[in-house]
Amino acid sequence: MTTENHNNNTEKDTYEIDTLTNDKLISEHSYDGIQELNNDMPTWWKWLFILSIVFAIVYLVRLWVFRADDLMQSKEFQSEMAAADLRKSEKDAGSAAFELMLLEDGASLAKGKETWDKICAVCHLIDGGGLVGPNMTDNYWIHGNKLEDLWRVVEEGVLEKGMIAYKDQLSQQQRLEVVSYILVDLVGSTPANPKEPQGELYE
Amino acid sequence: MELQKFTYDNRLSRLFLQATVFWGLIGMLVGLTIAIELVWPLMTNGVSWLSFGRLRPLHTNAVIFAFVGNGMFTGIYYSTPRLLKTPMYSKMLGNIHFWGWQLIIVAAVFTLPLGITVSKEYAELEWPIDIAIAIIWVIFGINLIMTTVKRRVKHIYVAIWFYIATFVTVAVLHIVNSINIPVSLAKSYPVYAGIQDALVQWWYGHNAVAFFLTTPYLGLMYYFIPKAANRPIYSYKLSIIHFWALIFLYIWAGPHHLLYSALPDWVQALGVVFSIMLIAPSWGGMINGLLTLRGAWDKVREDPVLKMFVVGVTAYGMSTFEGPLLSLKSVNAISHFTDWTIAHVHIGTLGWNGMLTFGMIYWMLPRLYKTKLFSIKLANAHFWLATTGMLFFAVPLYFAAFTQSLMWKEFTEEGFLKYPNFIETVTQILPMYWLRVLGGTLYVTGVILMIYNVWKTMKMGAFVATEQDEAPALDKRKPNTDKGHRFLEGKPVLFTGLALIAILIGGMVEIIPMFMVKSNVPTIASVQPYTPLELEGRDIYVREGCYTCHSQMIRPFRSEVERYGDYTKAGETVYDHPFQFGSKRTGPDLAREGVKSSRNYKPDSWHYNHFLSPQKMVAESIMPPYSWIVEDDLDVSTTAAKIRVMMKMGVPYPEGFDERAVDHLKKQANQIAQGLRDGGIDVEDQKEVIALIAYIQRLGTDIYRDSNESIFSDK
Repeated sequence: MTTENHNNNTEKDTYEIDTLTNDKLISEHSYDGIQELNNDMPTWWKWLFILSIVFAIVYLVRLWVFRADDLMQSKEFQSEMAAADLRKSEKDAGSAAFELMLLEDGASLAKGKETWDKICAVCHLIDGGGLVGPNMTDNYWIHGNKLEDLWRVVEEGVLEKGMIAYKDQLSQQQRLEVVSYILVDLVGSTPANPKEPQGELYE
Repeated sequence: MELQKFTYDNRLSRLFLQATVFWGLIGMLVGLTIAIELVWPLMTNGVSWLSFGRLRPLHTNAVIFAFVGNGMFTGIYYSTPRLLKTPMYSKMLGNIHFWGWQLIIVAAVFTLPLGITVSKEYAELEWPIDIAIAIIWVIFGINLIMTTVKRRVKHIYVAIWFYIATFVTVAVLHIVNSINIPVSLAKSYPVYAGIQDALVQWWYGHNAVAFFLTTPYLGLMYYFIPKAANRPIYSYKLSIIHFWALIFLYIWAGPHHLLYSALPDWVQALGVVFSIMLIAPSWGGMINGLLTLRGAWDKVREDPVLKMFVVGVTAYGMSTFEGPLLSLKSVNAISHFTDWTIAHVHIGTLGWNGMLTFGMIYWMLPRLYKTKLFSIKLANAHFWLATTGMLFFAVPLYFAAFTQSLMWKEFTEEGFLKYPNFIETVTQILPMYWLRVLGGTLYVTGVILMIYNVWKTMKMGAFVATEQDEAPALDKRKPNTDKGHRFLEGKPVLFTGLALIAILIGGMVEIIPMFMVKSNVPTIASVQPYTPLELEGRDIYVREGCYTCHSQMIRPFRSEVERYGDYTKAGETVYDHPFQFGSKRTGPDLAREGVKSSRNYKPDSWHYNHFLSPQKMVAESIMPPYSWIVEDDLDVSTTAAKIRVMMKMGVPYPEGFDERAVDHLKKQANQIAQGLRDGGIDVEDQKEVIALIAYIQRLGTDIYRDSNESIFSDK
């Protein structure tokens, strides 16, 4: 592109001209008939290269000399978590009016079912018949059948049996909805392949 | 000076060309198979050697080393003698190279589906094959370098520079990354562990892309584009600068495969900045290729060969811009572990390597057979099938990657993960996986057209086994009076030495401190070696290629810590020979799968049922069933030897533990199996599934251990 400002004027005579582009061919550069032109590198390409090197230097200096927070992933992680915690505590402060009471309205139970299908069904099956986890449709309970009992199991889990704690994974409201769904809709229903009873019979 | 007569032998080029076409088809069909398996997981139900995890390494190895490998040798053996005006140095070495390489590929075709693998990506082959690769590669190198020594042309052309860089770098990469200690003929462990192993592997893996898929093909580009277009190279100066910049900078970029991993910030930063600095040198190659076509664009419209070259070089430019982009940490946070990586590499392989190979074949074949190409029309059809196939492959995967990554990261108003079940994010993108199958089918159809065209052309013409040429001898007594780079071009052995130095620097600066400076891998006192049963389970995990779909590297993001548990620490990986970080999350991360308080924890019985039928536990799962693991007995004949190899590598088992290893294994297996039997599952102690469950339940638990006392102390 910048053939004109070439500084090799002294050897001007040795150049042949490529007729299609008017660029100079370098003499004696012929390999199996392949010739080479004496073009310089495109200017934009040189700038691209220089800028990328500048970027590299700035980046490394920011990390190695100035210890920039945004280039250290432990710092980055801390600030991401801190921002999330702040939002969470604001939310909790707003929902202080929570009460542990069985929900029986259709909308809440539908939401409870949504959570059940998404999360609980992995071990207890969609219809509650039980698989790895116990059958939730019969009247046999390992940890009690009251709302408070189920609430505690969902909140804290039964780690040694593989039931995990959902305190940090579902909101208070979501936990209440799903527990209500179990007690109102699932208990007493008839699943396709019910697991054998576990725990004690509660009348 | 007197002209000397000599001949070019086309036979080796023809052999390599046929091998390229053959293995290309095989490798791509395997790729198509595993693409279908992702949308139809039960397709090969219960056939272990056809499962995704076993075939995926076969696909990558076949297309890289068999298709592109043979493709590069086709072009190198054709162009090198012509550029240097001399036959190849040794016919015998050439033949050993050809047959040796094919035998290595055949060995891979048998061992990989059998699960004989080291599990380091693109370096999966076991140690006896690794040794064969090293020997054959050096034979190729000797033949190449000695041909440059015997040349009749004073200066070596830029294509030869790239061939030389390819030879020296691949030799170094392969040997350093394959230092394994054998347990048996079919099993070995890498000497490196965990994060160190990961760094060595991705130094290798990234530069396999650089020096196996890129530099040799740049060499081919520098020969076949000017030949096909009959045009001079655009800029000799650009050749010099971009060549040296490319080989020097490339070798540093490996850590960008480990961004946000447990690799120290300083190494990650080097990976980032060297990737960014690679844009210009890479584009230097693209510019020199495309601008060489100035004055010949009218030919490009008509000639399928040039069309393929143009799309190939453009794809090279696209993927070498995208690569640095993906190396920025903020982009990588989204792209890593998703299908973005898959789309990216396929632009490079289907576009750059594929198109260049096809163009080269269509150009070379009529010359080898002294005839015309059987059908230009078919070649044009191939061009369009390949181009649209590539787009149908890549574009849906970009869409899938964005969708899935954003779903992984999305939180609800209440501050919980919006999609806590991984499967939801998989089901969402399955339509894109179907489109990928369509893209792959189009691409393979194009290759089948090419094979027909190649076959017909061969039948039409008569093979020219040798071609005569003549040139004056090179006067070696005349002193080399050239200046600067021109001087170097007259000294191929010195050139090789300097290229070697250029490619050694980056790797050394990054890797050596990771081994020598303790603070780079902070130790965690409670992290302990695997029990013999867990180690055997881990080897099953490796054998089945679980790492092809599951990562074991939780990145320090809120979304990942919420989903998977605390992020992975370097010190947790110190007994992992080899590391199992993975590079793709088709399924969830498993780094903390065994931690009882984590979201992912599942009881043993869940895992048992899940291996037997993933769909029974997660209805929409795309994981195939692993019935053979449930049915087969665990082979404990090498357990003691495995422990001994681990001890040799510094894994702190108590003195003489190798002799007690099998007893320890049986005791632990009995505990797990008894637990399953208590839960109503009919299973025997000695089944492989017990070992795999033991390993899975160990994952990520060490940092929560209360005591630092050895778990082997009293047993």
